[in-house]
Amino acid sequence: MNEIKLGQYVHGNSLIHLLDPRTKIICCILAVIGILSNHNFWYLLFLLGLILTGIKCSGIPFSSFWRSMRGIRYLLLITFLFQAVLTQGEAVFQLGALSVTQEGLMIGLINLLRLVILFLGSIILLMTTTPMKLSAGLEFLLLPLNKIKIPVQYFTTIISISFRFIPTLVEESITIKDAQRSRGAHFDSPKILTNLKSYLAILIPLLASSLLRAEDLAEAMDSRCYTGNPNQYRMRNLKYKAVDIYLIIFMAVALLVGLVIT
Amino acid sequence: MNGHGIQLINVGKEFKNPDSYKAALTNINLTIHEGEYIGILGLNQSGKSTLARLLNGLLKPSLGRILVNGMDVDSSEQIREIRQLLGIVFQNPDNQLICPVVEEEIAFGPENLGLSPSEVNKRVSWALEIVGMQDMRYHAPHLLSGGQKQKVALASVLAMEPSYLVLDEPTSMLDPVSRWEILEHLRKINKENHITIILISHNPEDLLDANRLIVLHEGFIYMQGTPREVYADMEKLTAIGLKPPGLYQLIQQLEEEGYGIDDNTSTIPQLVEKICQK
Amino acid sequence: MSKIIDIKDLSYVYLPGSPYEQQALKNINISLNQGELLGLFGGNGSGKSTLAKLLNGLIYPTGGQVTVCGIDTNIKELRHDLWKKVGLVFQYPEQQIFESNVYDEVAYGPRNLGLSESEVKTRVFEALDRVGIFPDSMVNLSPVKLSGGVRRRIAIAGILALEPEVLVLDEPMAGLDPLGQNLMLEIIKARQEKKTQTTIIISHNLKDILALADKIAILERGALVFHGEVQELLSKIDILSQFRLELPDYLQVAYALNARGIKPNNDIKNINEAGLELIRIISGGKGKL
Ligand SMILES: Nc1ncnc2c1ncn2[C@@H]1O[C@H](COP(=O)(O)OP(=O)(O)OP(=O)(O)O)[C@@H](O)[C@H]1O
Ligand SMILES: Nc1ncnc2c1ncn2[C@@H]1O[C@H](COP(=O)(O)OP(=O)(O)OP(=O)(O)O)[C@@H](O)[C@H]1O
Ligand SMILES: [Mg+2]
Ligand SMILES: [Mg+2]
Repeated sequence: MNEIKLGQYVHGNSLIHLLDPRTKIICCILAVIGILSNHNFWYLLFLLGLILTGIKCSGIPFSSFWRSMRGIRYLLLITFLFQAVLTQGEAVFQLGALSVTQEGLMIGLINLLRLVILFLGSIILLMTTTPMKLSAGLEFLLLPLNKIKIPVQYFTTIISISFRFIPTLVEESITIKDAQRSRGAHFDSPKILTNLKSYLAILIPLLASSLLRAEDLAEAMDSRCYTGNPNQYRMRNLKYKAVDIYLIIFMAVALLVGLVIT
Repeated sequence: MNGHGIQLINVGKEFKNPDSYKAALTNINLTIHEGEYIGILGLNQSGKSTLARLLNGLLKPSLGRILVNGMDVDSSEQIREIRQLLGIVFQNPDNQLICPVVEEEIAFGPENLGLSPSEVNKRVSWALEIVGMQDMRYHAPHLLSGGQKQKVALASVLAMEPSYLVLDEPTSMLDPVSRWEILEHLRKINKENHITIILISHNPEDLLDANRLIVLHEGFIYMQGTPREVYADMEKLTAIGLKPPGLYQLIQQLEEEGYGIDDNTSTIPQLVEKICQK
Repeated sequence: MSKIIDIKDLSYVYLPGSPYEQQALKNINISLNQGELLGLFGGNGSGKSTLAKLLNGLIYPTGGQVTVCGIDTNIKELRHDLWKKVGLVFQYPEQQIFESNVYDEVAYGPRNLGLSESEVKTRVFEALDRVGIFPDSMVNLSPVKLSGGVRRRIAIAGILALEPEVLVLDEPMAGLDPLGQNLMLEIIKARQEKKTQTTIIISHNLKDILALADKIAILERGALVFHGEVQELLSKIDILSQFRLELPDYLQVAYALNARGIKPNNDIKNINEAGLELIRIISGGKGKL
């Protein structure tokens, strides 16, 4: 419990932190395209390597990522197992009535990798970019859509407010959990059912209080002269550096190579 | 020019509860001049925070009108201008922290005002210094201690340099050293930069610097006057359960015996000093 | 008298290994007997709230030991039941209140104790009464619609309803009006009179609790810089001035007189007596007496 919470921004001065938010968004998009368009195991491993290098550069301890991975371990396991048994092919061994196939294992592994890359990529984006920068970057990237008469400002306002709200939601759930724990709720009891009940009991107050917090947040932002429109000032403040350009070119080339391999 | 200052004309505010209407403020008529230092006190539920939130249009009055520099807070066109002029530090710091880094939190307001990056940066450093939080510039606001959060909330409004500064119990969690520094700073910006201060507090010692005290009671303005005048009327104060600070209790006691104490006595040791010199 | 709280070489580090790592407490040794009242002071960020959470078992030491009511909080199985004995009122009521109406909020703890609904009801109404809230008008309201000071009272009531053996109050006076502060003092006095209930008060205002406290502890940047009896603190002028701890008004008069070499006639015990003393001095100067 005494650890950094999943997906919360962690301040730092690393290369990754200093990248332009647009670069990070573009790289993430390129990586997603890469993952979806390619099922070469080695290529995916290469992408994973890139992400791990990114994590290493960000200075955020691996352990916090590792712990957050544990949070989705069942999802990963289920994905893997389903692919392994449901894919037709040469049976490797029998699991009761189901046969695990060689092809299935491979596809399962590939999908597992895809999920992990997707998960780690978005987490590192969130943990090294403040919501403010993220929305400024998005606003900028979406700006061209304005030209073809798509009202992006509504879209970006919603996105930027939700970005801002994720950490608040996390905090609020910690607050409520602590408040309940200090008056008798159990969250780490040996009985799974007790824990489950306790977690369910957070949900209702969390829902109610997040609505209130959202209201408070909006009031606080209004009081300090925030307007929903894309902030010209913050966008103008975004600056591409040489690293940004190199990185985007690198990712684009990597994507192309990937496409060619398949 | 009648354009400057804050005017409340026959203001009333009611809240709708499931089974009743509750008047939080009734019939408030008040003019606050530019450059004044106003202290607001009153029991719990007397309507202090409601009054603060009305001033920058977060709440709409049920009755009456509120003008800031002649602009009606009810009009949505001018609301941004009003909020640029009038900054509020709310009672609970947790709910007013917006950003995941202290620096960004304080820069939020100035950036919205469209200031240049160098100016924003200057103001962030300046505001952090005032609240003594330079070391925490890159920390996460939600991981700070209670008092540190309050300081960040204060700094983030100070950095906008509003001409009217409304503070809802801003010192409640500050240690004595910080509290005196903040009060000292408020006094300074009021004197030197003519910033209007509206300070809400339960601690009568906090309010000794005010030019005018306003006592709210059950939504009405119950008393008004200089601290000396208000605190002199012990009977009226104690009737609703308020207490003057010790210094004024002593002055009162001495005056009843016929010993006058001059106006610029502001601490107990000073008072004792003066008495011993007599 | 038995030791109810025993803190040995306690240290606590927030988020170890992360960029936000922060040593909040180091090498703290405090012990407290049953029935005593400890006042805990210290600057902002000195570790007071952290210590409060450690006492309640919400967090546990990263070094050293905290033993409360005989329960070592390092031991996971024992820690679970600590909440029944140690009540913690958080620094901000917003950190504590989560139910959608006042009644449920105050009843949350007692219900977890397994009391019957009628017993819960008695406890809730009694607790609300003690913090000066008239239940019938408010029990159905949502706490968010209440003023800051009322929310503080409800947060306090929520813990009082548990009738904890050890009560830890984090800045209980903040946001309360003078009437509320008096009620708070009465609650604390009543606990003291029982002699079995231990109370810890975190405050920035020495004035509030000087008259009641048995012991005082002062933290500075996570280290314990003073731990002892009230009288001992009063003799340490350097500590008082370093933290700008303000003495109660009547003591300020007495100290100021002392500083000028004037010995007050008799012990000044309240503000009224202080005033009388001043009058005596003035009139004495004029030869009136
Ligand atoms: N959103 C709301 N809905 C309903 N009633 C409200 C709301 N906000 C405030 N009130 C009511 O208005 C009255 C005045 O509240 P306000 O918060 O202004 O008091 P206050 O003087 O600031 O008190 P405190 O010293 O406790 O902070 C209270 O009775 C409160 O219950
Ligand atoms: N959840 C947290 N994560 C990381 N650091 C924290 C956390 N909570 C507090 N801290 C840090 O630990 C130190 C001690 O905090 P604590 O809240 O105990 O102080 P405090 O004495 O209660 O101060 P205050 O008088 O301002 O309430 C501070 O430097 C604070 O920034
Ligand atoms: Mg209030
Ligand atoms: Mg604290």
